[in-house]
Amino acid sequence: MVHALNEIRRVLVAGGILIDLRPVLDKWPIEVASKGENREVGRATDLPEPLADDEAANQAMAETSQKGWLLREHEQVFPFFYYWDTPKEMQEYLDETWDDVIRIEEDLWHRLSSLWATADADALVRIRLKMSIATWRKVNFD
Amino acid sequence: MSVQIDPERTEIKYLRRSADFTGRRVLEIGCGDGRLTWRYAKSAKRVTGIDLLGDDLRVATIDRPSDLEQKVRFARADSIHMPFAKESFDIAILAWSF
Repeated sequence: MVHALNEIRRVLVAGGILIDLRPVLDKWPIEVASKGENREVGRATDLPEPLADDEAANQAMAETSQKGWLLREHEQVFPFFYYWDTPKEMQEYLDETWDDVIRIEEDLWHRLSSLWATADADALVRIRLKMSIATWRKVNFD
Repeated sequence: MSVQIDPERTEIKYLRRSADFTGRRVLEIGCGDGRLTWRYAKSAKRVTGIDLLGDDLRVATIDRPSDLEQKVRFARADSIHMPFAKESFDIAILAWSF
């Protein structure tokens, strides 16, 4: 990762900006969303390997800063939603694409289906990701 | 299976707060199918998206709006050995990468 950051630094102009935009595992909430209200049903379980990846990415950025390659200017977190029409569609999507990132316990799927079935007709199901966006500036020396 | 990803467009709001893309040469690392690219590319001078996944890059190329054909290019490359000259970009985006 540090090698990649050094390569990014190479292709950036002096004073150029690196924007590090990525989801951060944090037991993402699973919710039923309708115009009237949003209700959290439970939280996803973070899997160990991607958690370690998050930590490794943070360490790589810190090392880059210590080397004086890039200076951190700004960091924020914000919510980012994926929506599905039904719990079944959500489950199929997550099983297909995120089965190596998070796990949803069977009990949570049951509670989500029950709550969604009794919610307003326009109700959707969603997962709320925690996103991090950090801005780094290339230090002006070589 | 239908999924709506960030219909609130929160991501682009935060991205635009982080940098002014107007007239800038942008490198997007991990561009995937271009979902994020289309949201800021119009204001940039030039956008180069790279990814390791050829299937996603094919989707991005097919989906590229006609008014962005001259401005947005995609390449299959990794972030450790990028086929670009030194100091080619004003902004680099690590997009859901690492």
